[in-house]
Amino acid sequence: MATPSNSCIARMSGSPRFLHQVLALLAKDLKTAWRTRAMFTAMFVFAVVVVVVFNFAIGADTELMRQVAAGVIWIALSFASVLGLQRSGQLDSEEDSLQGVLLALQDRSALFVAKMLAQLLYLLVVGGCTVPLCGLWFRLDLLACLGALCVALTLGLLGLSIVGTLFGMLAMQTRACEVMLPMLFLPVSIPVTIAAVQATTQVIDGKSLREVADYLVVLGVFDVVFFALALIVFDYIVEE
Amino acid sequence: MPTWWAVMLVVMVFPGIYACRNRVFHALVLGLTMHIALLLVFLYAPTEQMQGMVQKIFYFHVAAALTMFGAFLLVCVASSMYLWKQAEWWDAIACSAAEIGVVFCTLVLITGPLWARPIWGTWWSWDPTLTLTLVLWLIYVAYLLLRLETSAPQRARFAAIVGIIGFVDVPLIRWSVEKWRTLHPKPVLVQAGGTTGLTSAMLLTFLVCLGAFVLLFFYLLRERVSLAQSQHALAVVRQEIDEHCAG
Amino acid sequence: MKNFWYLVAAYATIWTALWVYLLHLSQKNKALRAELRVLQAQLEKVLTK
Repeated sequence: MATPSNSCIARMSGSPRFLHQVLALLAKDLKTAWRTRAMFTAMFVFAVVVVVVFNFAIGADTELMRQVAAGVIWIALSFASVLGLQRSGQLDSEEDSLQGVLLALQDRSALFVAKMLAQLLYLLVVGGCTVPLCGLWFRLDLLACLGALCVALTLGLLGLSIVGTLFGMLAMQTRACEVMLPMLFLPVSIPVTIAAVQATTQVIDGKSLREVADYLVVLGVFDVVFFALALIVFDYIVEE
Repeated sequence: MPTWWAVMLVVMVFPGIYACRNRVFHALVLGLTMHIALLLVFLYAPTEQMQGMVQKIFYFHVAAALTMFGAFLLVCVASSMYLWKQAEWWDAIACSAAEIGVVFCTLVLITGPLWARPIWGTWWSWDPTLTLTLVLWLIYVAYLLLRLETSAPQRARFAAIVGIIGFVDVPLIRWSVEKWRTLHPKPVLVQAGGTTGLTSAMLLTFLVCLGAFVLLFFYLLRERVSLAQSQHALAVVRQEIDEHCAG
Repeated sequence: MKNFWYLVAAYATIWTALWVYLLHLSQKNKALRAELRVLQAQLEKVLTK
């Protein structure tokens, strides 16, 4: 049966180049996700639910909500990220497609890069839908800081994707994967949470990218360090 | 000051190194050092003018904190060695160091507020080091839970990965928490003035306490590693019995 | 001698926790070693059959 997984493996064994493998795997994941669209919907609705619950929990003070808006957005995105990773992991173990993919790969880290890029794309889409809604609800002027906001969002979501994909593949192979994933992911990604929330808050307040450079540097360093670390240790996660 | 360092080195390091060879000797040296540390803390170190008696918590609190960092560094090193050499002994060290590190971490998180409450008037002030300690506690408790929830072939590998990642994250967490902290209002000192710095007597007391804690860490490590190795040996013997009964 | 009880609480916690942990380790070590001896004897019996 020509499932996306089989055709992807066929394509990969003929072209050993790293980038081709990454793109082939990424295309497979995106095709699977696009067919059902359940994952996007679930992640987006969950992010919106988190934002709404926070809104009710914090109270009716609009000024206070404006101040905590960035924090609420990032919490919603972190939790949506956990949800997305758990769903991806579930899909992978149901299809049992990973074994075939791993055999066809010459460099296993191509799988990590592909999964990380897929997770980043899901998060960017969910973020792209949630943030404007928050702008509406919390009365934020997002159009004025759109460029800087996108930079902060992308760097932060990249960090969440890297750590999330790594721990997602690890937690999937434990007995209590639903518990282990958030327990590992959330504390380790605290630097991203702190830096991204501060950068987003200040950018929304009207500061330029240069003024939030400190936080962007933290995000950038985190992304680079954890990407390198993930490439090194990924083999140990998927080895038999 | 230099004379003190030389005396400390001679008095602590050489018996300390020899203690590694012999368990009973280690226990004796540890007991002796702890007694000396306690005597120094309560009878020799001067009472700090501003903070009073409560300041004496500092000696054991900071000694435990530094030992805890050392423990987690050992987890990172042992985890890396395990991934490289695939030797079970390194995994035993990583697991043991993590468990003892979490115990010390818990002690730091309990004594910190007990010190902060009379001085700052509040139990918790999101101080950067204490916040870092809290995040480390979360990460390494997750490490221990991961070990419980993963079965044998992957357990050591996955734990090693988390052990390394957790420690590599430490400078990043510290950096970001300090940046975040600058936005936090600092709690006002209840007692005016604050710490007046360490006198040489206090420094000596602190170093002896630190030495005692390091000896304690290695003693606990020795016991815990031997436990881990017994558990591993038990699993191996059980497997052999199963194989022979099945075959 | 104000704040005396904080000092007492701190040192009491440290000592209690460390002693409990040390005793727990020693007990578990003894129990495991005894179990290991029993199992090793069992293994020898199975091997010599």
